[in-house]
Amino acid sequence: MRLIGFSTGALTRSDFRTALQIMARTHVQAVELSALRQNELIPLIEDLNDMELREFRYIAFHAPSLMDCDFEPVAIKALSEVALREWPMIMHPDAMYDLSRWEHFGDLLCIENMDKRKPIGQTLAHLSEIFKFLPRASLCFDIGHARQVDPTMSEAAAILKCHKGRLRQLHISEVNSQSKHDPLSFESILAFQKVAHLIPETVPVIVESRVNEDAVDEEIQNVRKALAVENVLALAGD
Amino acid sequence: MLESRFMSRSETSASIVSEFLQLAPLPSARAAAARIREELDLLLYADIPKYTSEDTSLVVFGSLARGEWTSASDLDWTYLIDGQANSDHLVIEQKIRRVFEDNKKQFRAPSQAGTFGNMAFSHDIIHQIGGQNDTNKNTTQRILLLLESTTIGKNSQAHERVIKGVINRYLEEDNHLFVEDGTRYRVPRFLLNDIVRFWRTMAVDFASKQRDRAGEGWGLRNAKLRMSRKLIFASGLLVCFGCNLDSQLQKKISADKSATRLDLVNYIRDQIKLTPLEVLAKAIEQYGVSKNVGEELFRAYAEFLMILDNQPSRDQLKELRAADSRTDPVFKRVRKISEAFERALDLLFFENPQIAPLTRKYGVF
Repeated sequence: MRLIGFSTGALTRSDFRTALQIMARTHVQAVELSALRQNELIPLIEDLNDMELREFRYIAFHAPSLMDCDFEPVAIKALSEVALREWPMIMHPDAMYDLSRWEHFGDLLCIENMDKRKPIGQTLAHLSEIFKFLPRASLCFDIGHARQVDPTMSEAAAILKCHKGRLRQLHISEVNSQSKHDPLSFESILAFQKVAHLIPETVPVIVESRVNEDAVDEEIQNVRKALAVENVLALAGD
Repeated sequence: MLESRFMSRSETSASIVSEFLQLAPLPSARAAAARIREELDLLLYADIPKYTSEDTSLVVFGSLARGEWTSASDLDWTYLIDGQANSDHLVIEQKIRRVFEDNKKQFRAPSQAGTFGNMAFSHDIIHQIGGQNDTNKNTTQRILLLLESTTIGKNSQAHERVIKGVINRYLEEDNHLFVEDGTRYRVPRFLLNDIVRFWRTMAVDFASKQRDRAGEGWGLRNAKLRMSRKLIFASGLLVCFGCNLDSQLQKKISADKSATRLDLVNYIRDQIKLTPLEVLAKAIEQYGVSKNVGEELFRAYAEFLMILDNQPSRDQLKELRAADSRTDPVFKRVRKISEAFERALDLLFFENPQIAPLTRKYGVF
């Protein structure tokens, strides 16, 4: 059975403590600690020792999605604390300025494919170019971003096939036309089913849909439907 | 199986094929097209900063997209929208048109048919394939989007999404993507039929326009039908046949039969990123077509572009009425060129051992 958890940022914006409490109450077993804004990074890292994370079977860390150039060395130094714990660090490709400074994180550096607002990182060609500079980095495949960029899911299939060896984590949500993360609709479930068989069951899934506590279980059930391989085979059988 | 009898053997090397694409004036026409596309971007950007977005693309068609720009080429464009409905789209489209009108000496307006020079919406293009609501304009936009379109400026996401959406739509309607033994893709019949239909529609519309416009512009339209319109039809057929013949694509099937339709979408998308002449050049190399056939084909096309790029010849063609076509010296030249072009296409489509069986199977009945 797939390991499915939530991003703290999806449950409560900029309030990871409350998000972790919600996850504890809903028995979610995977978490992504999210510091999406630059000013959230240092406080979150400083609090790592005080967090109760033993219940989680999988922990990842989302670095800021945008950084000032001057902040890059500060972020790299701070993220070394995360690397010591061997947690995958999710990075947006356009948040990095000097890729050579990030290379030493190896496969803990987990590059995420981007939504259509971003200047790079949406397509197989973009990602392959980035991995040339970061050959050891892994991939956090955001299936919602991929669908927004190409609703046919053919680009998603191309990325997953080409970089299957790098796939370390999945992000899932419905990314709307304003690039906000919504709960899955039937439309997005149908789209995700088209490539679900290309995502091994062992890859942890982090839900980014913005939902309230009472909708956590329902969203996880929808994610299971979207990634159920038996549905895929029925659809793909030609 | 008919579709898998022939293995690929290259008789015309890549270097010879690239020589075909270097025949004058093809390189200068490509360079001119690239330069004009950049000029258009700068011109628009100066007046309408960020005139496109992730939901909209400014798409150009015709010679500008094919890389065949000559001195008096039309500027066929569409403001393509693939996003939320927004009344400001009309304002932007009108501003774009105004910029082009202000520079009409350099950029000639699209033809009177109304297919270009306005907005187009992804939903109609993707959903209305066939049936009552697939208008002549919609069919034209859709097929030309596939066979001869490119974008101006940096934002090409909407264009890319719509093209993939259209390809996917065609493939969704084909019941079987593979030949019976599952070793090769079939020719995508729905897509192929629409390309064939479009070619016939252009030929029928030629007669309709002759009547509507009382014979005005007959010579130029006829020359284009014989050459550039036929070229895009031929390239469309070759892209469809490539789905069955391309050995690299078939290797992907044997490795992984999952996500087959998505692989085919990507393959077709990659092929139509090439210009129609590049599609032909690639086919000549890939299917072992003789050098003589390729040379006749490309020489004829290069000569056609020379005529279009020569203002007096072009004007003469534009003024020419059907009644004078047998005596007009420029048109006699066009006829001779087009006969050579057609002869080369006949040899490619009806004599090549790989392509001919598919032409017979899918091209007519």
